Amino acid sequence: MMLRQILIGGGLAASLVLAGCASPGGSIYVPASQSPDYDRAPAPPQTTESGSRVKKSEQPAETEVIDRDTAPRHQEQGESLSPAAASLMREASSLLAQGDPRGAVSKLERAQRISPRSAEIYYKLSEAYVALDQLGAAEQFTLKGLSLAGSNTGLQRAGWMLLADIRRATGNTAGADHAEARADAL
Amino acid sequence: MKKSSAPKKRSSKRSRNFATDRKRRFWRVAGRVILVGLVILTGWVVYLDAVVTSRFEGRRFEVPSRVYARPLELYEGASVSISALKRELELSGYRLGDGSRRGTYSQSGNRFVISTRGFVFADGREPKRRLALSVSGDRVASLRVMKGSNDPVVRLEPAQIGGIYPAHKEDRVLVKLEDLPAALEPALLTVEDREFYQHVGVSPYAIARALWVNVQAGRVVQGGSTLTQQLVKNFYLTRDQTLIRKGNEALMSLLLELHYDKSDILETYLNEVYLGQAGTRSIHGFGLASQFYFGSSLGELSLDQVALLVGLVKGPSYYDPRRHPERALQRRNLVIDTMQDNGVIDNASAGKARAKPLGVAAKPSYSENRYPAYIDLVRRHLARDYKQDDLQSEGLRIFTTLNPVIQYAAEYAVANTLKRMDNGQGESSLESAMVVTSRDSGEVLALVGGRDPQYAGFNRAVDAQRPIGSLIKPFTYLTALRQPDRYTLISTIDDRKFALVFDDGRRWEPKNYGGDEHGEVPLHRALSHSYNLSAVRVGLDVGVDSVIETLQNLGMTDPVSEYPSMLLGAVPMSPVTVAALYQGLATSGFNTPLRTIREVTTAQGESLSRYSLAVDQVVDPSAVHLVQYAMQETMREGTGQSAYRTVPSALGLAGKTGTTDDGRDSWFAGFSGDLLAVTWVGRDDNGPTSLTGATGALPVWSNFMAQVPQHGFSPVVPDGVQYHWVNSERIALTDEHCANARYMPFITGSEPQQRVNCSGNMTRRLRGWFEGLFE
Repeated sequence: MMLRQILIGGGLAASLVLAGCASPGGSIYVPASQSPDYDRAPAPPQTTESGSRVKKSEQPAETEVIDRDTAPRHQEQGESLSPAAASLMREASSLLAQGDPRGAVSKLERAQRISPRSAEIYYKLSEAYVALDQLGAAEQFTLKGLSLAGSNTGLQRAGWMLLADIRRATGNTAGADHAEARADAL
Repeated sequence: MKKSSAPKKRSSKRSRNFATDRKRRFWRVAGRVILVGLVILTGWVVYLDAVVTSRFEGRRFEVPSRVYARPLELYEGASVSISALKRELELSGYRLGDGSRRGTYSQSGNRFVISTRGFVFADGREPKRRLALSVSGDRVASLRVMKGSNDPVVRLEPAQIGGIYPAHKEDRVLVKLEDLPAALEPALLTVEDREFYQHVGVSPYAIARALWVNVQAGRVVQGGSTLTQQLVKNFYLTRDQTLIRKGNEALMSLLLELHYDKSDILETYLNEVYLGQAGTRSIHGFGLASQFYFGSSLGELSLDQVALLVGLVKGPSYYDPRRHPERALQRRNLVIDTMQDNGVIDNASAGKARAKPLGVAAKPSYSENRYPAYIDLVRRHLARDYKQDDLQSEGLRIFTTLNPVIQYAAEYAVANTLKRMDNGQGESSLESAMVVTSRDSGEVLALVGGRDPQYAGFNRAVDAQRPIGSLIKPFTYLTALRQPDRYTLISTIDDRKFALVFDDGRRWEPKNYGGDEHGEVPLHRALSHSYNLSAVRVGLDVGVDSVIETLQNLGMTDPVSEYPSMLLGAVPMSPVTVAALYQGLATSGFNTPLRTIREVTTAQGESLSRYSLAVDQVVDPSAVHLVQYAMQETMREGTGQSAYRTVPSALGLAGKTGTTDDGRDSWFAGFSGDLLAVTWVGRDDNGPTSLTGATGALPVWSNFMAQVPQHGFSPVVPDGVQYHWVNSERIALTDEHCANARYMPFITGSEPQQRVNCSGNMTRRLRGWFEGLFE
């Protein structure tokens, strides 16, 4: 109960405010290059070589040449919440406020399928699991959210504070202190 | 005389007495027989009464469980192509039409209008709506609710993909009287039992009339059975035509009417009546018949369709509209005529209905054997929490995670790629299996158990335990990279031959594929090019037991042999197990249990069990991030690069090939931003093939990935990881503009300390000298 109050008044509120201002970006969406033929006709053989794989011939052969276009990808920030997922998250929030955390989890899982790489959804799932008194699950969802927070300090701080609250409630004082220190250092 | 007469008198008196005695005795016996008969009859009636009430009171029907695919969620930005949307609509029983009648859609180019029917999900009712949407670039570009509750995310009704049937294979969809189309009850009663609301179970008038009609016709053209009698016959009795059975039928009909009201009896009849056959599955009740013949729910049927179903009651196989359309049409029109003659419908609507074609769907929208491998896995998951009996009879609704479009793409990729391999290499006994999961939720979206997806036999995706070959390597390197003071992506690994000698004198000499050595190689290349010698050296250095521990952390439950050969994948696993382990690599160290079921509910929609999303951080995300880098490199420069012959270059992917000795097993496991897929190709008899992971399983995998619109893989840099420009050959930082510079991730503090210029010469000393100058 105590924890619930802390969460609603504290870290979570911060994360929700931040939800609106997470930076855009994210993985590139690529339409299908072959359409599956639903009548089961054999697919035409695909033999075209991707153009970007051609290496520069003027470079000396012994020196490794790295093709920057095809270098392994990464991103500094997680992905922003899509409007559809955001609307489901709002519905989840009102279910939580009405004391229906199970209903909230259902909505949030739908939101998670729409925006699976947004930290906010995992924080909200964490909040729902706190309400269900499943603190282990709540901690894991916070960690998952943190893994997607990237360089967004707001989301990071919200995540660490949430983690500190949950850990304190489970009696993991050292873990809570560590999380709090991480939040303070941001 | 006296003597003679006396006895005569006596005898006549005696005979009179005897006759009276006999009569009396007869009546006594008869009375007793009647009494006994009455007692027996009463007993029999009491027994029948018990039979009638117990079956009627208790569970009236064994209703099979229905298994549903995941519902398609539509919102602006949702990933769906035009062809996939049409397929989803077809599977959910939509017909191409005007888009304004429930259960129809219209299409004009990339624009759709869809009238949904609404559906009761466990988390609430999805109301009926009319939607207008456009699809562009394989996404929903715009979505507008024209009619109904306006929400930014709407769900279509889920497609039914299977059922769990009772032993007698009766299938039905229960309907309630209030759900009937207006024409059904009058049509049924006019044709089958006009005095239904007047009689007490049997109708002497109807019997007499039937007798008269039959005698006149010289053959049986009309039955005298009431609906109640028909119900009793189907519900309780065998099909024999004996007098005793007829008597029982009449008695039970009377009893049924005594106990229950007409509406109760009618509703039960509507759900019981046999209306068709689909293979071994029998179609009972108007609810299922409506879906079976028209692909629509009962409430949506028009007058002509109702008339056809009512006509079928007389003989579902004789009047089968798919096999005998002309007979069916005649019968339907006869029903319409009868309704018209009895004033149930007016002449205009009768004429209109008669003019319509049969309108039966070419094939039922749902066939029970469509996804045998997937349903098999669902059944195994259900068996953990549910009894077989309950699944067969309680009408449960099982909401799975199957994505029909992804499933189709996977089946197509397997069948089509293997067919091409057959042509090229004459290997016709190749088999394959495939698992596709949603990367961040662990939901199993598709499962292919063999090259013939309709074959409900050996489910290779779940049951084929085959050595995984080099699929083990990411776990070995992950174990090493968890020690950043000893290993980074650019650590030098010695890829040279060596021999291990065991205590018992046996020697083991691992070899690279092709037998060559690569000398000193950076770790990232050893993984992306799948060098065996390097992998074994690293594995032995960190310890086989540590590698096993990593596997166990990521969810491996079966025991793993501690022989060093496990470092080259002498570990048998099923494709589903591989997918579960790779989930941790794909999601930055989080175990996400694989799920095929989201929720099980009662027939009324009340939730019985939910299988929620769960995550569990088991490995440090920073070490996983480094492995993900090398697995992306595999796709661009290493053993997986042929994927980009099929997949667009813009789609970021990560993966790993696996091959076992003599090409007995060809594996590929990899992921994009949205999906994780594992494919296996080999022979059931474990015979050799000419395939490697890159030429067997990878083409199947790439063919699949190319069919699905999706997000590329681009992991968020975790806490404690920093990227640097490095020359990985020289293990040094370098400048961004150098041609051989790679931008690579390091666990903070493990990045190289020295710096080289573009030619690879040390610059640190020079810079140090300059720095000293200005101090």
